[in-house]
Amino acid sequence: MNLLERIFRYQIVASLVILLLGAGLFFLSVRYLIDEEVNKELLRSKVKVSWQLRHIDTLPVYILQLGDSLQLQPVRYPGKMIAVERRMYNANERQYHPYRQLIFYEQVEGQWYRVILSKLLDQRQQLMKAVVMTVTFIVALLLVSMLMLNSWLSERLWRPFYRTLNALDKYQLEKHEVLEFSRTRTTEFTQLNQTLTQFTERLAASYQNLKEFTENASHEIQTPLAVILSKIEGMIQDETLSESQLVSLSEVSEAANRLSRLNQALLLLTKIENRQFLAGTEPVNLTPIIHRKLRDLEDLIEQRNITVSTKLEPVGPVMHQALAEILVNNLLTNAIRYNVEDGKIEIQLTPGKLTVCNTGRPIQGDPELLFERFRKESTHSASLGLGLALAKTICQVNGQTLTYRVQDEWHMLTVTW
Amino acid sequence: MKLLLIEDEKALATSIQNYFQRENFVCEWAPDYGTAMEKIHVYEYDCVLVDLMLPDGDGLQAVRELKRKSPETGIIIISAKNSLDDRIVGLNLGSDDYLTKPFHLSELNARVQAVIRRRNFQGNQQIGFGKIHIDPQEHSVAVDGYEIILTRKEYDLLVYLIANKNRVLTKESIAEHLWGDDADLMDNFDFIYTHIKNLRKKLMDKGCPDYLKSIYGVGYKFSEQ
Repeated sequence: MNLLERIFRYQIVASLVILLLGAGLFFLSVRYLIDEEVNKELLRSKVKVSWQLRHIDTLPVYILQLGDSLQLQPVRYPGKMIAVERRMYNANERQYHPYRQLIFYEQVEGQWYRVILSKLLDQRQQLMKAVVMTVTFIVALLLVSMLMLNSWLSERLWRPFYRTLNALDKYQLEKHEVLEFSRTRTTEFTQLNQTLTQFTERLAASYQNLKEFTENASHEIQTPLAVILSKIEGMIQDETLSESQLVSLSEVSEAANRLSRLNQALLLLTKIENRQFLAGTEPVNLTPIIHRKLRDLEDLIEQRNITVSTKLEPVGPVMHQALAEILVNNLLTNAIRYNVEDGKIEIQLTPGKLTVCNTGRPIQGDPELLFERFRKESTHSASLGLGLALAKTICQVNGQTLTYRVQDEWHMLTVTW
Repeated sequence: MKLLLIEDEKALATSIQNYFQRENFVCEWAPDYGTAMEKIHVYEYDCVLVDLMLPDGDGLQAVRELKRKSPETGIIIISAKNSLDDRIVGLNLGSDDYLTKPFHLSELNARVQAVIRRRNFQGNQQIGFGKIHIDPQEHSVAVDGYEIILTRKEYDLLVYLIANKNRVLTKESIAEHLWGDDADLMDNFDFIYTHIKNLRKKLMDKGCPDYLKSIYGVGYKFSEQ
């Protein structure tokens, strides 16, 4: 639920509560006023009736008021004076009408009478209803218009905020952008935008620094390695060298090569983790990549007499093309490297899933541990131990999952997206 | 053939120079941007090797200047920067190849020869060694005029061996040349032996002497002796 919707909901609830409470209170207070008024009138009538009854022998009795009624009942003892509201049946109209009654006791010529003065409330109640409803309606109208005005205003006033939000949503660090916003008249939003601009400036700067650092580090390490390798290559050409010297040189060269590959793999890993590869919006079709990699690796596959079977559909996850290549390459080379002689590889590509299964020796412990850097089966000491870590990282940054399962002699690596 | 090497690392530059001198190339060295500009404007080169990070300037600027002054010269960027954007920028500016450090000198040599071949002879120059003749345009190989059919890898291997004739080639450099980034699988060099064996057999079947010598523990050497 967005901010404006939430505000709107609270406002509606608050308005309804205010409206109901207000209407109720208004109704009660109007009723109270009317009751007071009727009571006063009844008391005034009572004074007249009492006076008349006391002088009944000297004065003619006349009707007090239209619609009011007066009842006299002889009683043995007097009671207390009370005022009640009661509905009474009108035989002529055949319906009940509300009355307010004042009951009191009066002695006439030695006999006690219960005097009931009744006053029709119909018109007053109708008036009351009309007043309460009119006022309620006016208040409701006011609240609704306030609500509409409010939501319109909020939408207008919050517009810069949503523009900022939208810009942030589209923000991509890899593009080295600094977010710039158009001016707003709201101080808070101006402040927010300024802070964000500064923030992205710093972000872009440190990202640039980091990128430069990784590249410079690579440069600094690769250059001495290039010197080492070039010197070794020059020395190897020397025909006066003995066989053991040549073997030593070859070992040095191998180690330097390994160091260089390790450095490159670590740099690649860092770059992927820094999300320097922009993900595409279109899924990469993995089928041609898999076919190409299988062709590149066919020497190895043939040499180890591995049977490869594929079941591929032209689908794939959304990711950078280069990363997709590295992912496929690492999964396939892993399946070849840890395979057994005359082994099998099965590749299945279906929507949302890529599975690479290979035969291999059973492993001890949790297969998921093989995703850690430099974790490898000791028998293959020459491998860098970074292949699966790279594959895992690629999947992680792109929101895919990579799982490793071992079942009997089958090793199963699955990418799901 | 005349080369210019623009590279600030003296030790590396010396190795490269020595390597190409044995090939009877004239290889001049410019340790910085200023010297490089002087040399470019005074002399003509067949191929220029440019390092991108120079103490007093950007190698890319040197590439731009070279393209402007003598568009016929081949350009190979040698750089430790291996990010995709750098490669794209470099190649877009008109360099012919991009080699990331560290590289094998034999690989650099093969690439330089390929660039010179492409530039000077539109790829038509025949590659010859002893009884072997290669037409790079057609990708065809003949021994004594009899054509032999090679796989893509065997062809690449043969061209590489001839480009670096009379030199010892390490197994790593061969593997890297043939498989590029996939050479990560080099924990096992058996697959190189397979290709070498097949290539040697195909050549010798057509009466070619065995030019390929195995150097114990190191690699191979392609020579007529």
